[in-house]
Amino acid sequence: MDAPDAATGALTARRYLRDLAAGERRRLRLAILAGTAAGLLTIAQLMLLARFISRLLIDGASLSELMPVLAGLLALLVLRALALYLQETLAQAASLRIRRRARHALLDHLARLGPVRLSARHSASLANQLVEQVEALDGYFARFQPQLGLAVLVPLSILLAVLWLDWLAALFLLISAPLIPLFMALVGMGAAQLNREQFAAVARLSGHFIDRVRGITTLQLFGRTAQATREVHAAADDYRQRSMRVLRLAFLSSAVLEFFASVAIAVMAIYVGFGLLGYIEYGPADELTLFGGLLVLLLAPEFFQPLRSLSQHYHDRAAALGAAEGLVALLNEIPDAQRLSGGAAPAPLHDRLVELEAVSVEHAGRGRVLGPVDLTLAAGEVVAVTGPSGVGKSTLLQLLAGFIAPASGSIRVAEGLSLAWMDQRPLLIQGSLADNLRLAAPDASAAEMRGALGRAGLGELLATLPRGIETHLGERGVGLSGGQAQRLALARVFLSQAPLVLLDEPTASLDAETEGYLIEALQALADEGRALVIATHHPALMALAKRRLSLEAQATVQEASHDALA
Amino acid sequence: MPSPDASLWRTLRPWLSLLGQRRRRLILGGLLMAVTLVSAIGLLALSGWFITATALTGLLLTAGVAAALDVYVPGGGIRLFAVTRTVSRYVERLYNHDTVLRLLADLRSRLFAVLSGLDSHALSRRRASDWLNRLTADIDTLDSLYLRLLAPALVALLAILGLAAFLALWSPRVGMAIGSLLLVGWVWLTAGQARLGMAASHRQVRDLERLRGRLIEQLQGLAELEAYGSLGDHCARLAAIESRLYRDQRRLGQWVSLGNALASIVVGLAMLLALWLASQAWRTELLSGPLMVMMPLAVLAIGEALVALPAAFTWLGATWAAAERLNALEAQQRGAAKAHPSPRLPGGPLSVTLEAVTLTHAGALIPALAGVSLQLGPGERLALCGASGAGKSSVAGLLTRQLTPESGDVRLGGVALEAWPTAALADRVALLTQQTDLFDASLAANLRLGDPQASEARLWHVLAMVELADWADALPQGLASRVGEGGRRLSGGQARRVALARLLLREPDLVVLDEPFAGLDAATAACLAARLDAWLVGRTVIYLVHQLGDSVDPPGIDQRRILREGRLCKTAQGVSG
Repeated sequence: MDAPDAATGALTARRYLRDLAAGERRRLRLAILAGTAAGLLTIAQLMLLARFISRLLIDGASLSELMPVLAGLLALLVLRALALYLQETLAQAASLRIRRRARHALLDHLARLGPVRLSARHSASLANQLVEQVEALDGYFARFQPQLGLAVLVPLSILLAVLWLDWLAALFLLISAPLIPLFMALVGMGAAQLNREQFAAVARLSGHFIDRVRGITTLQLFGRTAQATREVHAAADDYRQRSMRVLRLAFLSSAVLEFFASVAIAVMAIYVGFGLLGYIEYGPADELTLFGGLLVLLLAPEFFQPLRSLSQHYHDRAAALGAAEGLVALLNEIPDAQRLSGGAAPAPLHDRLVELEAVSVEHAGRGRVLGPVDLTLAAGEVVAVTGPSGVGKSTLLQLLAGFIAPASGSIRVAEGLSLAWMDQRPLLIQGSLADNLRLAAPDASAAEMRGALGRAGLGELLATLPRGIETHLGERGVGLSGGQAQRLALARVFLSQAPLVLLDEPTASLDAETEGYLIEALQALADEGRALVIATHHPALMALAKRRLSLEAQATVQEASHDALA
Repeated sequence: MPSPDASLWRTLRPWLSLLGQRRRRLILGGLLMAVTLVSAIGLLALSGWFITATALTGLLLTAGVAAALDVYVPGGGIRLFAVTRTVSRYVERLYNHDTVLRLLADLRSRLFAVLSGLDSHALSRRRASDWLNRLTADIDTLDSLYLRLLAPALVALLAILGLAAFLALWSPRVGMAIGSLLLVGWVWLTAGQARLGMAASHRQVRDLERLRGRLIEQLQGLAELEAYGSLGDHCARLAAIESRLYRDQRRLGQWVSLGNALASIVVGLAMLLALWLASQAWRTELLSGPLMVMMPLAVLAIGEALVALPAAFTWLGATWAAAERLNALEAQQRGAAKAHPSPRLPGGPLSVTLEAVTLTHAGALIPALAGVSLQLGPGERLALCGASGAGKSSVAGLLTRQLTPESGDVRLGGVALEAWPTAALADRVALLTQQTDLFDASLAANLRLGDPQASEARLWHVLAMVELADWADALPQGLASRVGEGGRRLSGGQARRVALARLLLREPDLVVLDEPFAGLDAATAACLAARLDAWLVGRTVIYLVHQLGDSVDPPGIDQRRILREGRLCKTAQGVSG
């Protein structure tokens, strides 16, 4: 997949799909090949069928003479089934690989964007995109793409076969051939319009439904659920009436295709029949045989079949294009180049952990949000970052963590520095308490984990749990209160042994008791010799710090030692 | 997995009976499908017959034998089938689409009725938008039960039986043989394929759900994962789920392809069998030549009826899983209210009594409320303080019967809460929830939730009470302005005040206000406090607040209590200031 870069212009949905298909070109081509083989085998099969009938009825061949033809038909039957199987499984395998690759590319891209850029988006809807929209690409690669090739190759082969049999019959098909692109456009337009309308209307309807479900508690409280139920039904019914008006037209396009397929059979039957009776004096009709006539009849519907399939798969294309648009919008967000190359240069810094020199940060559209800041952080230091909200306290922490890159200035980081991070919304993964702790220290022993939980003030809770650290937390930490979740995050910090701990407003939205505990725990961390950088406006936390970095509007920075403040 | 057949049937039965309410439409839709199929079969079979007949007659004519063939009846038949096939297909698609949309309306309103019967225990975990998306996806899955599964399978079965009977008219032997072979094929393509794919397709949605859960974790926790350097480990967890998901998908895809290949083999074999048996019959002069040709061609045309079956039935497990999830929702519905003799409810402001109430949320490790007791006289005002998660909202849930305590008693006006009729409770207890729920409708419609009969003048009056009258007046469409999804077109503070105004349209005897002034500036809050004070006279009031004394306190507090981790603190010391 191409990296979306400014030089080649933004990635479009169509190009995205094309690029994805290019990665699996071999499989998709093989699928088309298998499908074409199946088409050719169909022609051969129908040919043998016509031959069997003609030999039996016209030449008076005995059944035993016809055994080889029957055996041939049987063999072709199996081969054709095999070719169909191959076509489908190859396309399916291509689609699977494409989707897997697309999802990984998207995840990598999001990881490159980093936590700060992602915070602007709703993670549930992002996750939904990564699941649903990637899965919505399936039909396009597994069905539509191969069928697009087959819709050209198979009718062409059939046309040649019919031409060899009877040029006038071939002419019938040929006359409809220039019409085929027209049908396709017609079908395409119909389907695209249908899809657009459907998508929009379905979204509106789902929106209405979800809106009412989301507010169901309110409806219960106001005693209005019966009325709302009637409204839900009425909205769905209104949607039905409106969409039926659209469908009446949209279905016409496929009806046209159906009509041509039916008419082709009827025209062939009547032309061949009258020809065989000798009623048609013109052209090759008087040379028609039962074999040729039957075969032309049997081939006529097969001529249109690939097109009918294509029109059935057309909605796959529309769905994939819709999904691709959403995904491309994500991919077109350009990650911070400096963040990727690592804005911080590792350097041997003796006992200092980080050095910031005249560092400033800019956010797109908001201009400078921090700096220039100078900061030298020694091992074991405790620094409180203070200032009014929106002044860039979190930005400074994100900078130290490497989540964002500076616009100017330089950052030097001690070689191999590991860090611990804690903010107001700790990450809780679905799994056991131990799984959650191992995020910070993959090799921690059970005893170490219990110790860390104890130090974070969860010892009492742990003692009440029969399964101990193997206790399962529900989805998104269901089962833990906010305070407990914060303590679990603290236990991770204890477990991690990281010499630098970054804390972003760790006490916000905590009750007084948990807050007190947290402050004690942070003191313990500082006593261990870890460096803490705490963004806060809580007096008790500020008191904990030996140094205080006060950020003020207009990007000026004042630093004061604890003694000077006191 | 439980024994598939019995539990599949049990799971789908309620939905099948819902479909049954539209029996006539479904039958008519199926008939239209059958007409299309019969026309397709008839078109090819009659054409084959006609060509053979003309060829044989032509031979006789060339040989100088006088022969005649009526070309007009079969010619007309061919044209008729060509037209009916096109027209019935168009009408069928239109008609069945209409049916599906009607079913969608039925399903949605039924599900909604189910959801409105759920209490907060069941609803609390079902607010996330991804859950709502899944709910609508499940409904859509069930919606296609008729068009994807039931109708094609039944129409195919009917077509097979019809074809066998038709062929048996001329040659019972051919009819029997073809009917048996195709029936065996039909059973495999439906039941066999369903069994093959059941477990894997049943797992699909659950695995997609897990994948989504892990993705949300990864996206929300990217900061920590990156800081601790454990992003790779988490990606491995994701990859493991994805691998299983795709292993199942690959298997399902292979089974569908197998089914499609088998369908083509079954039809091909049936065609060959018809050809062979009809040839024998022709040899023994039991059949005429044209009829002999007609038979394999008619069989060939029935392929169209079987084509859609393998894909639909291999994925039956997904439909099953969707139905299971929706059934599980129905099962959570509050048990039918126990028959209480309708109690005598006291008039006027209600006293509130909680006695040793303990409440644990589903899946929680510790109780949300532990042994909480409190007493509030009629017309008194209580401020219940505590940090988020301390249990304040659980108290609100208890009083509105959104939540049921595990132990302890709740009484309103001296009457046990469970004895209160639902309508009376909704009428006399009002709750301003912490989360503001506005609906994607007009401002007036949102307000009239409080009183559907409220006049415009009253709407303006309550808007004035919450200081929104000037703002609403300046809107281009006034009261008819839409507030957007979840009230998104309003600021947080405006939405909050609309929710409060909605409450002021009611005449409740117990009012619970969860953070009534959250998100409001001090001046507005002070203004509101004074008007609220007047409105609250003669009603019992419970305020749920984070902390008193931070900015503007709610008016007229008589009692203050503190909740901490689900327990009431013994004294009220240090509540204010």
